[in-house]
Amino acid sequence: MSIIIISSDVREIEEMIAGKVAEEKGYGRLDRRIINDVAARHQVEPGRLIEALETTPSLFRKLSSRQWRYYLSCIEADVLERLLADNLVCWGLAAHLYVTDISHAMKIRVLAGKSSGLAKIAEERGISLQRAETYRDDEMARRKKWSLAAFNQDETDLSRYDLVISLDQIDPVETVRTITGASEYRKFQVMTYSMKCLTDLALAAKVHAVLLKSMADVKVQARDGSVVVSTRASTRQKRKKTETIKALAGQVDGVGYVEVHVKKNFLKETA
Amino acid sequence: MARSLEVLLLDDEPIVGRRLKPALDKIGCQVEVFENPKEAVARIDQKEFDIVVTDIRMEEMDGIAVLEHVQKKWPRTKVILITGYAKMDLAREAMGKGVFDFIAKPFRPDDLRRIIASAAEALGMPIDAASPNDETVAE
Repeated sequence: MSIIIISSDVREIEEMIAGKVAEEKGYGRLDRRIINDVAARHQVEPGRLIEALETTPSLFRKLSSRQWRYYLSCIEADVLERLLADNLVCWGLAAHLYVTDISHAMKIRVLAGKSSGLAKIAEERGISLQRAETYRDDEMARRKKWSLAAFNQDETDLSRYDLVISLDQIDPVETVRTITGASEYRKFQVMTYSMKCLTDLALAAKVHAVLLKSMADVKVQARDGSVVVSTRASTRQKRKKTETIKALAGQVDGVGYVEVHVKKNFLKETA
Repeated sequence: MARSLEVLLLDDEPIVGRRLKPALDKIGCQVEVFENPKEAVARIDQKEFDIVVTDIRMEEMDGIAVLEHVQKKWPRTKVILITGYAKMDLAREAMGKGVFDFIAKPFRPDDLRRIIASAAEALGMPIDAASPNDETVAE
């Protein structure tokens, strides 16, 4: 029983390998097909959620930074809740960036090599190998920027992954076999501790999403149903903000106790 | 009549044994409690326990060394690690070395009873771990 999270520097490769791993393992698939459900649950447009997964806010886009963070938090909360079911292969939802410190979640990075990976892009997009390489490099730079802005994690940093496979060295069939084999290691099997960590992470994400709907700059940690929220507010707003957070977080299913830590917001204090 | 599940409980904090022993007694386990790892290992050398529950961070000998000792001496015995210093790397190391389960302190006795029940099931000695309704928390 485990969770396999697959990401790649090329979306098409990620999808192909993850789909085959899920098939081989007989595991459920957790991918962008859930976006409509997430959108319905949080009453937002599905297109906005996809946009949040693809782009960073800028002056030229309609998506504000606050909305962007809220949309990402909705996806994160739903994905983490679904991962509690176990025996899943997950991709395309940025889970490799927010499923952290969960020992039964194995994170895989598949690097599209020149020979097979880039050839596949070139073929599918009808472009030359050289253009495919430029496309891949641009995409990597964009994803690095996005992952740092969204989750303060650099997805191109290979030390973050449990297993890194280059398609230049290992062909796709062998890659799938390697991933399914590695997922059998006892290290990646579920245990009471790792399930508890995932449950805490899922609860924190759920509370975070609820709070981000109406406010910005909140951090949430959860442990056994107790939730600690850290935020900023001016002295004048401190009491009201604390009460609002307690009321909103307290309504979330699974929350038994809420503690709020408020730091002084010097910008608002001097305004 | 089926024999009781033999459990060795090792934690250098006396309060853990004091709180967990009665909780395991209630589900019919025969529990021997130790605070000194060397004494526990000496007892393990004499007797095959069904389950060994051990803390990880202890002076003189850590829980991983106890796990390795048990595996060498009694491969059938299930080892459950408990720790107040749980981290992903340690959890993976323990799982990789064949621990049956790994649980972070603090936990409710009910949580341990559930794990004991699944270890008993794996040993082919199923027990009823229905909660006797206590809320004591092991620190």
